Amino acid sequence: MADRGWPGCAASLKGVILDMCGVLYDSGEGGGVAIPGSIEAVNKLKASDLQLRFCTNETQASREKFVAKLQKLGFDILVSEVFSPAPAAVAVLRERGLRPHLLVYDGLLPEFDSVDKTNPNCVVIGDAAEQFTYQNLNNAFRVLTGLEKPVLFSLGQGKYYKETDGLKLDVGPYMKALEYACDLKAEVVGKPSPTFFQSVLNDMGLQPHEALMIGDDLVNDVGGAQHCGMKGIQVRTGKYRPSDERHSTVTADSTVDNLAQAVDTILNQRL
Amino acid sequence: MAGRRALKAVLIDLSGTLHVEDTAVPGAQDALNRLRQASVAVKFVTNTTKESKRNLLERLHRLNFDLQEKEIFTSLSAARSLLEQEQLRPLLLVEDGALEDFTGVETSEPNAVVVGLAPDHFNYQTLNTAFRMILDGAPLIAIHKARYYRCKDGLALGPGPFVTGLEYAADCQATVVGKPEKAFFTQALSDLGCSPNEAVMIGDDARDDVGGAQNAGMLGILVRTGKYRGGDERKINPPPHLTCDSFPEAVDHILKNLVSK
Repeated sequence: MADRGWPGCAASLKGVILDMCGVLYDSGEGGGVAIPGSIEAVNKLKASDLQLRFCTNETQASREKFVAKLQKLGFDILVSEVFSPAPAAVAVLRERGLRPHLLVYDGLLPEFDSVDKTNPNCVVIGDAAEQFTYQNLNNAFRVLTGLEKPVLFSLGQGKYYKETDGLKLDVGPYMKALEYACDLKAEVVGKPSPTFFQSVLNDMGLQPHEALMIGDDLVNDVGGAQHCGMKGIQVRTGKYRPSDERHSTVTADSTVDNLAQAVDTILNQRL
Repeated sequence: MAGRRALKAVLIDLSGTLHVEDTAVPGAQDALNRLRQASVAVKFVTNTTKESKRNLLERLHRLNFDLQEKEIFTSLSAARSLLEQEQLRPLLLVEDGALEDFTGVETSEPNAVVVGLAPDHFNYQTLNTAFRMILDGAPLIAIHKARYYRCKDGLALGPGPFVTGLEYAADCQATVVGKPEKAFFTQALSDLGCSPNEAVMIGDDARDDVGGAQNAGMLGILVRTGKYRGGDERKINPPPHLTCDSFPEAVDHILKNLVSK
């Protein structure tokens, strides 16, 4: 079957994967604000015959907590539909017998309750925001330089995200800081790691060409999805910047105003 | 050695080479005096950004080193020159002790970000402010990009990691004014009236001191004090002209092999 571009490809889709922050809502004071039209867009997708999953690099809170936050905003969403880096990281640590030194936001710690953190032999960093103090970074740096085989996991590699009061540094810059300081390469758990996207596809029982990703981060959402064989749509909400439409390496299959427009376009193709 | 003229100048790193924090490297004061007796010019070059020239001088005098303020050339001096040249108003992420070297530079309504070694400023809030300015077009100037340095209780992150993080976040490249930039070394030699191939650099940082100096055309001597870690000499190409235990041994080598008698 010939590969059709957007929006024609929507006719043969079987599943949609949605990024959360910047697509469904903007985070910030008081739990954040739903992006206009997004609640209804999710409802329309759920009412359709398409499979739906949520894929986020959110690492300031455990899945239970931020799903509860979104439900409070009015979103129809379940923990079992959400894929985030922390549980994926816990699985990797267990697989490889690694004990982490954690540099993550307090709210994420519960995700690591079951993990042995004594005598750490690796470092895990997440979006720690104000907890990215010089002291905390230095401690992580010292753990890494003290290891014979230093291993650094980064929960995502995003450059920045949008909160209600402006753009803020994400985990990526801090991952790069530690990579530079220690002369090593971090392993990214979460978008845009192909393993992460594959785990979502496996859960849906779909092949990459049967799914489409919608996100605000051109490189990590759209680029990451395309790299796995999925279509990637960028929305002009969240961290989107006009220069994204002139990016040197990633070209979205389409750029739409917001999730509501994306969903209407998809469903119109399937009437 | 063909193509190399007689030695006219010696550039000496400070932190990690002549002293580590408030302790002089054993024998360094005497070695410096012996070096001064030979007919070579001496300059002290440093990427230290926490302290002004006056602070550096006071500490070195306290440790009984014989030198004058005009013999010190720092990456702060190099940064200030650049700001004046480009008429920029900086957000200075620089420790209080170093602000003195920027007296007279306009800092209101900043349109440039200057990053030095400033643990107090490397907090989330300040870095976000710097990031947003750079995203809006403010140039990012790095006093240097040292990965880490040695302090009393171990290794500590230098400004390099934070500059790298901001470069990644804002998709830009910083202008680096300190070691190992070629311009730093040629600027340091400029008022000594000699060219790089008539000079040698002594330092504890393989990449920034020795690698940088050799890349500028000088000879480089790596000392095993300060931040030196075993195997550092294998990290640069070409390797150091000489790797030795400490500053006194470096001076011995220079007096024996590089100065005309």
